[in-house]
Amino acid sequence: MSVKGYLMQLQPFSVNDGDGIRTTIFLPGCPLRCKWCANPEGFQQAPLVGFYHRLCIGCGACAKACPQGIGIDLNQEREKCISCGACVEACPKGARKQLVSYADADQIIADAEKHSMFYQASGGGITFSGGEATSQLELLDYLSRRLYDMGFSLAIETCGWFDFDKVLPVLKRMDLIFMDLKHMDSQIHQKFTGVPNEKILENMKRLGETGAEIVIRIPVIEGVNATEENIRKSAMFVKEHLPKAKMELLPYHKFGFGKYEALGLPLPADEFATPAKERMERFFEILSDVGVERVEYR
Amino acid sequence: MSVTPRVEKIRQNYLNEKPHISCERARIWTESFKRTEGLPQQIRTAQAFYDACHELPVTIFEGELVVGASGEFRRCGILTPEYGWKWVDDEMDDFATRPQDPYDMTDEQREFCRKEIFPYWAGKSVEDTFLARASEETKKIGVDTGFLDTDSKWRGGIGEISPDYVDQLFPKGFGGIKKEAVERMEDLSETDPADMKKRDFYKSILLVCDGIIALANRYSQKAKEMAAVEADAVRKAELEEIAAVCAAVPENPPTSFREAIQFAWFVELGGIIAENPLALNVGRFDQFMYPYYKADEEAGKIDYDTALELVECLWLKYSEWVWVISSNTAGFFAGYTNFENLTVGGTKADGTNGINTISYMAIQATKEIKTHQPTLSCRIQPDCPAEFMEAVTELVSTGCGFPAIHSDRVGYQMLRNLGCDPEDAKDWNNCGCVVPHSRKTFEWTSSCNISFTAALEFALNEGKSRLTGKQVALPEKDPKTFTSYEEIKEAYFKQFSYMVKHGVISLITAQEINQKKAPRPFLSACNEFCLKNGADLVDGGAKYNIGPVFTGCGLAVTANCFAVIKKLVFEDKVTTLSELIDALNANWEGYEELRAKAQAVPKYGNDIDYVDSIAKELADYYYHDVTSYKDYYGHTFTTAFMGISNYLPTGKVLGATPDGRKATEPITEGVSPYTGSDTSSCLAALRSSAKMGHDIHAGGTLLNLRLNHDLVATPRGRANLGAMLQSYFALGGFHVQFNTVSNEVLKDAQAHPENYKDLLVRVAGYSTQFVNLSKSMQESIMARNAHESF
Repeated sequence: MSVKGYLMQLQPFSVNDGDGIRTTIFLPGCPLRCKWCANPEGFQQAPLVGFYHRLCIGCGACAKACPQGIGIDLNQEREKCISCGACVEACPKGARKQLVSYADADQIIADAEKHSMFYQASGGGITFSGGEATSQLELLDYLSRRLYDMGFSLAIETCGWFDFDKVLPVLKRMDLIFMDLKHMDSQIHQKFTGVPNEKILENMKRLGETGAEIVIRIPVIEGVNATEENIRKSAMFVKEHLPKAKMELLPYHKFGFGKYEALGLPLPADEFATPAKERMERFFEILSDVGVERVEYR
Repeated sequence: MSVTPRVEKIRQNYLNEKPHISCERARIWTESFKRTEGLPQQIRTAQAFYDACHELPVTIFEGELVVGASGEFRRCGILTPEYGWKWVDDEMDDFATRPQDPYDMTDEQREFCRKEIFPYWAGKSVEDTFLARASEETKKIGVDTGFLDTDSKWRGGIGEISPDYVDQLFPKGFGGIKKEAVERMEDLSETDPADMKKRDFYKSILLVCDGIIALANRYSQKAKEMAAVEADAVRKAELEEIAAVCAAVPENPPTSFREAIQFAWFVELGGIIAENPLALNVGRFDQFMYPYYKADEEAGKIDYDTALELVECLWLKYSEWVWVISSNTAGFFAGYTNFENLTVGGTKADGTNGINTISYMAIQATKEIKTHQPTLSCRIQPDCPAEFMEAVTELVSTGCGFPAIHSDRVGYQMLRNLGCDPEDAKDWNNCGCVVPHSRKTFEWTSSCNISFTAALEFALNEGKSRLTGKQVALPEKDPKTFTSYEEIKEAYFKQFSYMVKHGVISLITAQEINQKKAPRPFLSACNEFCLKNGADLVDGGAKYNIGPVFTGCGLAVTANCFAVIKKLVFEDKVTTLSELIDALNANWEGYEELRAKAQAVPKYGNDIDYVDSIAKELADYYYHDVTSYKDYYGHTFTTAFMGISNYLPTGKVLGATPDGRKATEPITEGVSPYTGSDTSSCLAALRSSAKMGHDIHAGGTLLNLRLNHDLVATPRGRANLGAMLQSYFALGGFHVQFNTVSNEVLKDAQAHPENYKDLLVRVAGYSTQFVNLSKSMQESIMARNAHESF
């Protein structure tokens, strides 16, 4: 029997999250509230419609289709929206987008399977991401079990905030696990992500039990965690607890906050910056000093 | 590694020279024909070739190692009035100023042509004869219309031949070919009428062999004379070597890599002098050149860099020759592109890996020379070595648009479907743009451009052109009175079949005229089987004779149009046929909302069966209709979805279309999606295209995609591109070619997002459509691009 759950999107032709050509399945429900997050639709496990003002031609087809009587500017009346998707169907310009939908797991599998030829030729596969994929455990368990049985190479990207023993069976199906390490200082971690880091660090320590290849990722952000001290501490933590794990340092890029506008949410503070190239080089050296292998999927 | 100073100098001279018309070849040809009245056409043609070889100016340009030119100019275009002169007469006053492919021509040259050349051919040329023979009905739909065009087959030389270097030219040399002709002639009876034509054929072979050998000897002599007065010792030695090489080839089989290179250029030059051909293909260059390279290298006579310099000199020669074509044809084949197709990679005829040093050298030469010729094609077999795939995708990443990348297996299957033996099919080379071909074949590979979208316009406009109001096709009822989708489809098929019929009529007429008026002794000499059979190419001398190829244009647009009619008019009923027709007549002005709805209907290229299945139905109908006809020689016609640049002129003559396209905008090429409409992912575009069932369209299929440069900027990115290609080929796709884009393009995309809806960029961890990104995100991607470009 199939299960259902909330889906942000299925992104084919992902080439930077693991080996080869991959399809990334984004599942919402992230327990963290990182202040730089560019995917706020991934916070809640609930259907969600976005409104892209830039694309709107003001034809009113959305308003005509809406069972709740909402007008063209959805964000003025968002509290009435039941995210049924009628306006998404009606809009000829794609100005209304279903950012989160209630999806059938078997349909997700069928869509991901379409590209199996590309995975085979490239050594790619399927990556679970978010939001936070582990927060919909029943859906994730079903998807990963079926896709594992179909022989696909699987990977997951996680924030690390989950109940390890419950998620372990899922993690054991993965060939590759990416876990984020946003800051070694729990207070700073809490300040920027809304949660302390102890649970995440405890989970990270146990990743060896999964048998998967492990990559610990740091989104390197000036103003948050881009200090030599933090990078060194992070690397030492990984070296101590996960001797075989690799690390990836991803320089933060400001890719705008279009989805905040689409959801009528206040924009995050503009206090974060991309680290300079030389700074990144320095951080790479630190990894190498500590003796952690660096990886990048570019 | 960069090119040598010599090559750079020749390259700069080439780039700075404007294409010129040379009247010399036309003058010699005309004078020769005046002298040979009464003789068989076969002999007259060969004699004219012989005379041209003896009289054409012989020029060795500064620093050249590979020599031979078709006229007095470096970038020279010649006239072939025996094929067509009327269009030259009509158009030559504007040659220098026309927007597509201009040529320089002096007033004296024009006066000379009008006085000395054209009057002789009046009423005699292939073009004259065709236009005299074609019915008014055929002309209305199929002469200079943009709906249905065959004029490259009756206004100019045919070309579309792959000279056989493997079994004919290199092992025999023209001296050997001549000897063979003499021997075979001795076996003919003087009294058997059946042998008369054969005798003429062999006589014509003797003339063309003597001609090309004489031309080479003239170059040898010229080099000797130049060497005698050359002060620079290095250049003097080079000229002496040129003299020795041209004395040896193409009369004798080449004995070195250097001689083989010069031989290959003389063959090309001979073909140019003979007929100013489209698609005189070089063939599998790496296969027939490698033995010479290997032998020389092992003997210590040549190293990689020396060979590369020679190859690059040859590449510049391929680029220097200018194909002279009518402005109508130039619309279809824009960019002086004469399609001297050169194939590397793939398997050998025995199925083993055929990739060798020359395969890589050809790719490197194309990367370094950066000119439009040769048209480089690569064959990719399922177990293509990663190193070769890297070389191919690395060339893609330079953004030059080369190479055309082909499935080794699908090419094989296409030739098998056309009846070729397995070992010949395995040895296929590419012809023109995307036509699987063999050096043993005679085939008109790009004969008739047929616009699918025009057929729909006729079905929905009572058989009239929407732009001119002229009745050009079958009368049809008022489009507002159609009552079902099926009825519209029937009306479309009726118009489409009418167009196919007139294409067939035009081509069999052109074939008959070409057979009588335009024998091809020189290119027949390059074909092993013509010699064996004692018959010219036009008389079926080749081993394989394949029916002319139709090229379908506008497949994606037309499928998209049908999807709109089906969904908006008959399923969702959000509009009526009446309103839709009014919108088309108004070029969508005042119907913006309806247009937006039409644009939102699923489009071909997104792996959506709703519309892809319509495209498949149109493609299948095309295949079955075209292949129901036999050509002048009794061979089945062939279908293709090629590209060239035919989506522009075919679009220019059409009114607005139901998919939301406005009047005169381009339609679509090959099996490519409509520009900007494949918004899902390039994997979806590949899957949509593969659904068309490529192998039955054995005249070739074409897919163009745009990629962000960033995607192929790293070896890992290129490996993924390679995997994507292999997947497409596994799905049955035949060809794909990529445009990779720079920041300038991205800036233009920012300013005109409507033109770039399909443009993919790598964001962070995934790739998506550039225009769907916010301004700030676009800016950051451009910043990164600049940062990461080589």
